Amino acid sequence: MSLIMMLAISLVVSAGVMLALSRDLFRLIVGLAVLGSAANLIVFMAGRPGSLVPPLIEAGAGELAAAAADPLPQALVLTAIVIGFALLCFALVLGAWLVRHNGHDDSDRLQASEPLASDPLKPPLMDE
Amino acid sequence: MSHATHPAAGGPTCLWLAAAPLSLFLLLAWGLTHHALPWHVDASWVPSLGLSLGFRVDGLSAQMLALITGIGTWIFVYASGYLAHEPRRGRLLGVLLLFMLAMVGAVTADNLILLFLFWELTSITSFLLVGFNHEQAAARAAARQALLVTMGGGLALLGGLVLLGQMAGTWTLSGIIAAGPDLAADPRLPYALMLVLLGAFTKSAQFPFHFWLPNAMSAPTPVSAYLHSATMVKLGIYLMARLDPAFNDLLFWEAILIGTGTLTAVWAAVLALRERDLKRILAHSTVSALGTLTLLIGLPSPGAALAVVAFLFAHALYKAPLFMVAGNIDHATGTRSIDHLMGLRRAMPLTATAAVLAGLSMAGLPLSFGFVAKDVIAVAKAEAEVLTLVSYATVFVNAIAVAVAGVAAVRVFWGPPEAPRGQVHEVSWRMFVPPLAIVLLGIEFEFFPALADPLLLAAARSISPQLGVVELSAALDLDVLLSATGITAVVGLLFFLAWDRLHQALHRLYRLDERFGPAAWYEHLLHGLSRVAAWHTRRLQDGRLSSYLRQTLAALLLLGAFAWWAGDSRPLIGWDWPDQGWAWAVAALLIVAGAAAALLLRGRLAVLMASGLVGYGSAVWFLFAGAPDLAFTQFMVETALVVVAASVLPRYGPSSSRREPWRWANAALAAAAGIGTFLLLAHLQGLPPNAELAEWFGRTSLPEAHGRNVVNVIIVDFRALDTLGEIAVVAFSLLAVLPLLAGLKKRRAA
Amino acid sequence: MTPRSSLLTQSARPLYWILLAAAVWVLLRGHNEPGGGFIGGLLAVAGSSLVAITLDVRAACRLQPLAPLPLALSGVALAVLAGLFGAAAGLPFLTHRWTEVGVSTVMLFDIGVFCTVWGALTGYVYALLDDGEAAP
Repeated sequence: MSLIMMLAISLVVSAGVMLALSRDLFRLIVGLAVLGSAANLIVFMAGRPGSLVPPLIEAGAGELAAAAADPLPQALVLTAIVIGFALLCFALVLGAWLVRHNGHDDSDRLQASEPLASDPLKPPLMDE
Repeated sequence: MSHATHPAAGGPTCLWLAAAPLSLFLLLAWGLTHHALPWHVDASWVPSLGLSLGFRVDGLSAQMLALITGIGTWIFVYASGYLAHEPRRGRLLGVLLLFMLAMVGAVTADNLILLFLFWELTSITSFLLVGFNHEQAAARAAARQALLVTMGGGLALLGGLVLLGQMAGTWTLSGIIAAGPDLAADPRLPYALMLVLLGAFTKSAQFPFHFWLPNAMSAPTPVSAYLHSATMVKLGIYLMARLDPAFNDLLFWEAILIGTGTLTAVWAAVLALRERDLKRILAHSTVSALGTLTLLIGLPSPGAALAVVAFLFAHALYKAPLFMVAGNIDHATGTRSIDHLMGLRRAMPLTATAAVLAGLSMAGLPLSFGFVAKDVIAVAKAEAEVLTLVSYATVFVNAIAVAVAGVAAVRVFWGPPEAPRGQVHEVSWRMFVPPLAIVLLGIEFEFFPALADPLLLAAARSISPQLGVVELSAALDLDVLLSATGITAVVGLLFFLAWDRLHQALHRLYRLDERFGPAAWYEHLLHGLSRVAAWHTRRLQDGRLSSYLRQTLAALLLLGAFAWWAGDSRPLIGWDWPDQGWAWAVAALLIVAGAAAALLLRGRLAVLMASGLVGYGSAVWFLFAGAPDLAFTQFMVETALVVVAASVLPRYGPSSSRREPWRWANAALAAAAGIGTFLLLAHLQGLPPNAELAEWFGRTSLPEAHGRNVVNVIIVDFRALDTLGEIAVVAFSLLAVLPLLAGLKKRRAA
Repeated sequence: MTPRSSLLTQSARPLYWILLAAAVWVLLRGHNEPGGGFIGGLLAVAGSSLVAITLDVRAACRLQPLAPLPLALSGVALAVLAGLFGAAAGLPFLTHRWTEVGVSTVMLFDIGVFCTVWGALTGYVYALLDDGEAAP
């Protein structure tokens, strides 16, 4: 069964990479979000899920039942989901700001911090 | 650098700064008379890294300290006169003072890292001082060259010191020297010593790194006299001498030192004939002397240690005054070219006196400490049975030294005065007293060797502990000495007389050196570096976001592939079908559908919704994998995403169907990333399960943290610091976005 | 903006309070049952977003104890404060303390998480919903 999940997660990573490499700023941001989800899934998968029993200590019991799921990956992923959402919001606002200030949504034409390779500002490739 | 016509710049003369080295010198003298060497100071610094503020002063360090502070005192006096018309003298003298302290630290540090820190500090201050006249392109280039060569060597030195420290298991210099003979069997020793020697050779301008020193003469003369003759360039010599007792039994140590030293001494002597600039002539002769010192350290006999310290001392005592003389001539006449200098003795009698006395010492003639040093060297060589070739080489080198002394002390002062060049006059007392004082000190040591003997012997014993009781003056061996002095004096006289003719004759050799010599390699290297940088900024850093992403991803994948190839992985693929298998299958289906749709759909809302589908699928999976908290969180987040997205989408405008120029590369990278993820997951599944943490959390959650929801307990208790960091990121991301929002609104209002 | 149905407009406030109550309940029981500060915070965000969509951002903002940014920052401050109790007792920072009556620094910490999530995410939601009227 884990095979199916492994395949699904791998596909999510591929889709995320493809989206993130797009020149469309919006697709790029969505791609980063998808990659974030994939990372969460990988962490969860690494915890070897399989049990249906949530990691809650039953009333009367002193410690967690052996059949319960591993709580650690859950704790890691839970905070990661919320952080990922905050960062997605941040990226969306940043993207909107860039679109407004540059007048386009081409991520390869964002030259505020660095000019293109053809710019004379960069050192010449060959000796003059 | 003539300032004769400049109006006197205001401000203090900074003469009082000489009090700093002077007080250190007096402190040293007091210490030497009251406390037996060696002295230790050790303060803990970063014990966990083996770093301690360990200082140790033995004979060799004391000798270096005497030179640094003693000559330093006169340098500061000299500089206050030389720079009287320089408005930025405060800065120069400040850096000079910093340099002096760095030197004091470097020759007393016992901790390897401390030694390295001070070593580099001398390089940096040297850079600042050489480039002091930064409005001149030549000075900037010379400063950069000095920095790159000595810093490059410094890096090698660091590597060598760390290796030595690891091999010996101690981070103190004294500990390594004590452990030295035991290290001989270690296969890493040659590499460590090569690295250390690289550092020492670059610092002390040994071939093929000698070229930076003559260029560093663009520094103001007090700097040249101090750093580039008397002190800093001796730091490499100091380190080699310091390590010599540990490694002088090794054949390759001996061979490299003697070979490099001889080559440097001879080649620099030849190059000295090339120059017409008085300072550069002196610089080449300094390199030559440094080569001789390296050669002497390489000699295995105990007498060689005495020769090293005596020559080190003598050289500092005559070379610093000669540089000052060159500075005085420059100051008075406005030129340093020997073609235009003649008969200055009438105009500058006191400077001329200092020059002649220093020249005597440099030529190793009687009446000077150089004479004593030469004697000791001759004895050491006779003791050590050096190769005949090396003997001839030293005769040649000494002869050139005689000739250089002649040029610097006789040629420019004697002969008919050149046509009157304005008012050439003697310089101020602050400029002729220091060279005279240092030179007279040397003469004093010749007649009263008891003054310097104890210090020199203590220094020699730190290099060669088995050195017996000797007296410098009693060691005078007239036969050896007279023959050696006689020969070199005669040959040197010939060189002196033929100086201009030799200069012509060797013209072609110098052209070859210019085209193919080490300085040319340096230029090629520098040029190549900037070409690589240009290629890098043009081709790799092409200013496109997607390029950077592609490169990062490709590098990451390559690293992963390497780890897979190098590691011992037992991938595992589970075929099991758990009870809730159907739910997992649905979840996987949702996830796959979301991912595929996000990839294939063009509309923005559709892409966003599709990515949301990945989240919903994950939530389903979490729900049926014993993680209700996760499932709930994921559901909430995906729902909130719809709200946010619906409001933010209009700001992105209509989606454009743009040509993706790197489409196939992107697809290949995406496919590789997918395959890599699959392999990673298979690898993770194949690792032996370790439930230790899960069991620990399950066991301690209730009794220690009073919570039944173990996930929540981990978040708020066991890993609370982590969570604190995460909520801080969430809160501060909002803070960071506020300016952007303000920008969005301003445009809207406009 | 979406057309506002009167039914939703009427029920927005009651729904908000119900969601908020649920959020607080989830927060408080989170230490022993499924739930906790993160999930509770997200529920509260859902409630506030509902009001912001159906009524307007100002109304949603007014219903919160603090404006979004101060709320988020005070959440972080609360979490730090919770850690200081342990530190004051000479224990490592963030070592939690319990009292006999069931009040604990753990709860304070979780409330901090709750407030941060509520404040920060509503800050984003308002900012994106809002067409330039109220600042977060």
